[in-house]
Amino acid sequence: MIEVTNYRDNPLIDPHLEIWEWQISVYLFLGGLVAGLMILNGLWRIRDREHETKAITNSAVLWAPVLISLGMFCLWLDLVNKLNVYRFYMTFQIKSPMSWGSWILFLVYPAQILAVAVAKGSDVFGGVLKGLNPLLQILKSITNGREKQIAWLNVVLGVMLGIYTGILLSATAARPLWNTALLGPLFLVSGLSTATAWNMLSRPTKIEHSSLAKWDFSLIITEMFLLLLILIGFLSGTEGHQSAGMLLLGGGFTAVFWIFVIILGLLFPLWLELREMRGHSTPAWVAPALVLLGGLALRFVMVQAGQVSHLPDTELLFGAVGH
Amino acid sequence: MSNEKPKPYWSPYMAGLGLGLVLLLAFVIMGQGLGSSGAFARLEYTLLHTVVPEHIESNPYMAHYFEDGANPLSNYLVFLVVGVLAGGFISGITANRFKKSVDKGPRISVKARFFLAFFGGSLMGFGARLARGCTSGQALSGGATLALGSWAFMMMFFAGGFLGAYFLRRQWL
Amino acid sequence: MNFPIESTGAFSFSTGMLMTFLIGVGFGFFLEKGGFSSARKLTAQFYLRDFAVLKVMFTAVVVAGIGFWGLVHLGMLDLEFTFINLTYIWPQIVGGLILGIGFIVGGYCPGTACVAATTGKLDALWCIAGIFFGIFVFSELQPALKAFQNSGEMGEVFVWQWLGVSPGIVLLGAVLMAIGAFSLGTIVENKKGSVVQPD
Repeated sequence: MIEVTNYRDNPLIDPHLEIWEWQISVYLFLGGLVAGLMILNGLWRIRDREHETKAITNSAVLWAPVLISLGMFCLWLDLVNKLNVYRFYMTFQIKSPMSWGSWILFLVYPAQILAVAVAKGSDVFGGVLKGLNPLLQILKSITNGREKQIAWLNVVLGVMLGIYTGILLSATAARPLWNTALLGPLFLVSGLSTATAWNMLSRPTKIEHSSLAKWDFSLIITEMFLLLLILIGFLSGTEGHQSAGMLLLGGGFTAVFWIFVIILGLLFPLWLELREMRGHSTPAWVAPALVLLGGLALRFVMVQAGQVSHLPDTELLFGAVGH
Repeated sequence: MSNEKPKPYWSPYMAGLGLGLVLLLAFVIMGQGLGSSGAFARLEYTLLHTVVPEHIESNPYMAHYFEDGANPLSNYLVFLVVGVLAGGFISGITANRFKKSVDKGPRISVKARFFLAFFGGSLMGFGARLARGCTSGQALSGGATLALGSWAFMMMFFAGGFLGAYFLRRQWL
Repeated sequence: MNFPIESTGAFSFSTGMLMTFLIGVGFGFFLEKGGFSSARKLTAQFYLRDFAVLKVMFTAVVVAGIGFWGLVHLGMLDLEFTFINLTYIWPQIVGGLILGIGFIVGGYCPGTACVAATTGKLDALWCIAGIFFGIFVFSELQPALKAFQNSGEMGEVFVWQWLGVSPGIVLLGAVLMAIGAFSLGTIVENKKGSVVQPD
């Protein structure tokens, strides 16, 4: 990919319809997941509930920097000029979502480290990382009493990161499937949902688990509602939007979208969580595992289908680049 | 979690009727019967192809699945088996039959059961590839279409089962 | 109507795969309902204690067979666009035998192993691993076994063609055979009280 600008006048966009491969999908998935983890962790702390948690404010906090680094690694794998990565930080372009993104990612790390510092217990690090604990004690003494501010910082940056993962795509006007204002909120909600799922798999306490299941239930319904709105938006939109929508409604991405995103990624976990709430015996790990799978499938479908979707010739702003 | 009792299995005739109608539907809609071993092979070849592409390409039998840049996973049987997993899970969990367990006879250890499951699975993987289908692809689907070779397969399948059963009483009874 | 619908171009490949998935859900659902997620139930067939395998499979074959050939007879299902297993008689005979032995050793067949795994059977996971291994071995050896795998080639040939009768006669025979086998099976099951149920 060509860094910083990703509009259609970028000569690489049009002739090569699939220049973004799995790396971008995984990156967007992990970015959304980490955004969700930051928000959940922050909110839980703001509501003074960390004394009853294990997963949300402890293990999730430790995983967030690891996961975002993994995502950044995927993104870096995708860069053509791998050494030029520093240039992202030599500039700030207010109109470029990628520039915004790189700065958000830059700020996310310190916020996460502060979140680790205020995490409950002094033995957050164990095993190999035990050596880091003295450092943690120093950080703890600095951050003492500022837990709430740190929580808010994480929430705000989490929301920015979550929305950014959607905006990154929707800013590309030449790709009608991405060109919807709801993509940011969709990815944010999906990110939150995958984060609740991640926490549900991190051996949460009983209290945490029931809260997480309830949240996830509402998040899944919200996500389905957003997807419905997006699809209606496509069908009632321009010719380009309609053909983009048809990619998911009978076109080349129908199977993956409906099977992995809608049925297995949303409806199935929704049903399982409902069963669990009603007291039927249900293996607790299946629903969250499917939510994670669905979140990854959603990024995959949106990135791949989005690259195939294009404006009809009449709507082309830059006629010079052929199909 | 409540401990509800597992519900009994359906009458085999009802399950068979349902299965038969699904099979008929598969022919009516997609023009193909049911199968599963092909999906295993396709998944396996895809994984192998990402790890050792040259090796797979050098074997014409496996390379065939990648001809002209084809994706072996973009296939009828693969989507069918993903559905089978979902359908089996739905049926099992709604009947309270989902339970982490080892299905074995009373006289055999868990380890021995695992070993035999693996060994039997290997035989089936080999046999299914040789015969171009397994119990569902050959006996069930081929059986319904009255394909000659599939009926021969079905007879031999039962023959093999009865033959092996004599030697394996200890495992199951 | 023209069946198979897929051949009429009424839907795209991808939409077809969505329908295939739903068909698979039905397949897995009824397999599990029949008790095919339990190795003990499946293998009890071969000790003449539980005839579920025979009953479920033969009922399905007869129901689908009558529907299939009925639609062909009415001119609604076009055989040209329908996948029919080609007959390679020798590999099918040997493969069937190996599969039968593998089934009683392993406890499942490939499809039922999937269903068993989704109800939490750990032995089914080992069986699936074995299937992958067996496929690997065959695929590696296939160049050497190719001649045998292609032996006894008879093309698209049906039991009724081979017997020189109409499909209806064969299906009638299958129904009678099924009724006979089911009745015998039920008598034995009742006598032994040995139908396997989940525990």
